Amino acid sequence: MTRSLIRAPRFMIADHPLPWLLPLIVILVVFALYPFFYNIFLSFHEFAPRKRELVPVGFDNWVQLFGDPRMWNAFSVTLLYTGICLVIQVVLGMAIALLIDSDDPGFGFLRGVLTLTLVIPPAITGMMFLLMQDAQFGIITWTLQSLGLLTQATPILATPSLALWGVIVADVWQWTPFMVLIFVAGLRSLPRDPFESAMIDGASSWQVFRRLTLPMMGKVIAIAVLIRGIDLFRMFDYVFVMTSGGPGTSTYTLSLYAWEQTFSFIKWGYGATLSLFALFVILIAANLFVAVFKVRW
Amino acid sequence: MLLSPGQRILRAVAAWAVVMLFAFPIYYWVTVSIKLDREIFSIPPKVFSFETSAKSYEEVFGISLGFEQGLSVLPGGGDFYMTPRLWDSIVIAVCSTALAIVIATLAAYALSRMRFRGQHHFVFWILSTRMMPPVAVAIPMFFIYRDFGLLDTYHGVILIHALMNMPLAVLLLKSFFDDIPKEIDEAALIDGASRFLVFRKLVLPMAMGGIAATAVLCFIFSWTEFLFVLTLTQTGLKTVPVVSSTFVTSTGTAWGNMAALGTAAILPAFIFILLVQKNLVRGLTLGSVKQ
Repeated sequence: MTRSLIRAPRFMIADHPLPWLLPLIVILVVFALYPFFYNIFLSFHEFAPRKRELVPVGFDNWVQLFGDPRMWNAFSVTLLYTGICLVIQVVLGMAIALLIDSDDPGFGFLRGVLTLTLVIPPAITGMMFLLMQDAQFGIITWTLQSLGLLTQATPILATPSLALWGVIVADVWQWTPFMVLIFVAGLRSLPRDPFESAMIDGASSWQVFRRLTLPMMGKVIAIAVLIRGIDLFRMFDYVFVMTSGGPGTSTYTLSLYAWEQTFSFIKWGYGATLSLFALFVILIAANLFVAVFKVRW
Repeated sequence: MLLSPGQRILRAVAAWAVVMLFAFPIYYWVTVSIKLDREIFSIPPKVFSFETSAKSYEEVFGISLGFEQGLSVLPGGGDFYMTPRLWDSIVIAVCSTALAIVIATLAAYALSRMRFRGQHHFVFWILSTRMMPPVAVAIPMFFIYRDFGLLDTYHGVILIHALMNMPLAVLLLKSFFDDIPKEIDEAALIDGASRFLVFRKLVLPMAMGGIAATAVLCFIFSWTEFLFVLTLTQTGLKTVPVVSSTFVTSTGTAWGNMAALGTAAILPAFIFILLVQKNLVRGLTLGSVKQ
C-alpha cells in the first residue's frame, strides 16, 4: 500500500550515487567551476575604454600583478591581519574556553550569550565598531583617551599605524567566541582518566594543560585555525565599511583591492587576476595546512 | 578539576566579566537605536541613562508608534524606510536555504551511504568551494549575470547564496547521516525496499533534527552575507547588511536609523542561533567537531 503511494522516479531506484549527486554537481559546475574558468579568461583580457569591450592582453595582467607595489602592500596587510587575528583569537579563545568550561550554575547561559556575536552580519559589526571608534563621540575612543592611552590627535581609524588594529578589534570581538565554542566542545570530549591520574600524581595545572590538554586538543585546534584562517585571509566586509582601505593603503586587503580595481577603476581583467591570485594563495596554503596537520573530514 | 568554593566564586566573577565585555557592544548598539539623536553624539558617551526616542524605528519601518507628537511618518515616504529591504532579506534567505537543503540532503545521503571511485576527491572538491574567496566568485559572476540578465534579480542572489552554503550543508548533513546506523538501510534494502523509499521513509525522518539545524545555519549565513549582494544587485533589491552600510548622508551618518535596522536584523538571528545551540559547533566546523 505505502509502496504504491510513494513511487520514486525510475532513475532513483537503481542503486547508483549519480542521480543523488547530480543536482549538486550541476550547481557546483555552473556556479563554481564556470566562474573559475571565466575568471581565468578575464585575467588574460582587459577592458578597453575606447573600444568599450574586452581585448586580449596575454600575460600583461599577471606581469603587472607581480610588479605592483600596491598588490604586495595589500598582500602583506592581508597576511599581517590574518596572522595577528589568528594568534589573538586562538590564545584568547583557549583562555576563555578554559575559564568558561564548567557545569556551575549560570555557565550554560554565559556560553549561550557568547554565541550571539557569531550571527551578527559582519557589515553591521563594522558599523558598530565604526561608531564606537568615532574620533569624537566613540565610546572606545573616549575610554582610551580617559585612560591616557590615546591622544585627541590620533583618531583610531584615520591614523595609518592604528587603523588596522581598529579593524582587528572588530574581528577579535566577533570571532573569538567562535574559537571559544569549538574549544569548549573539544575540552568536553576529552577522556577523564588521564586528568585524574595526573592529579593523583600531583601535576600542576600548567603541566596538565601543557602535557595533556594541548596535545589532545591538537585536532580541534587545527580545524578551528584552518576554517578561521581561510575566512580571515578573504576578509572584505569590515574594511569595506570601516575604512575603505584607508587611510592611504594601510588597511587594503587583497579582496578589497581586487574588488575596487574591478568595480571602481573598471580594470576588469586586472581585478579578476588579483582575485585569482588570492584564490591560488588560499588553496595552496590550505592544502599545505591540511597535509601537514593531517586534518580530515 | 576540583576548585575550592573561593576559587569557584572567583571563576564565576571572571567568567561573567568576560562575557559581559563581549555582550557590551550589542547592548550599546541597541541603546543607540532608541536614543534621542543628540544623545548619540554626547561626550562622554551615555551608556545607562539617556533620553529615549522611537523615531529611528518609526522612520525605518514607516510606522507611527505614537511616542512623538506631530511626527508623521508615511509608509514609503522617508529616506530610511526599509521594510521592503527586510522583505528582500527574508525572501533570499528562505529560498536559498530551501534550495541548498534539498540539493545537499540528496548528495549527503549518497556520500554517507554509497561508495564510489574518487569519492575522497569529490568531497575535497566540495570543501575547496568553501575556500574560494567570495571576491573570486563575485567578479566573474557579475559579468556572467550581466550577460544572462540575472543582475538585480531575486533568483540570481538566491542561486549564489545556495552555492555559498553548499559545502556547509553537504558536509554537515553527511555527518548527521553518518550518525544513523547503516544497518537500518541495509535491512530495508534486503526486504526489497528501493533506495528512495529507504531514504524517504526511514532515514529522512531520523535526520530531521540535523536537517533543521543545517537549515538554520544556512539561513543565518545568507542573512549576514555582504559581498555577493553588494556586487550582484543594483537598485531592485538589497539585503539589510548592504543597505545599512549606505546610511551615510550629506549631513553625517544616520546612526540611530542604522542601529534600529541593525537591531531588527540581528534579533531574529539571535532567536535562531539559540535554537541550534546543541549543533552549533558541529555546524561551524562543517561537521568535523561534535559536541
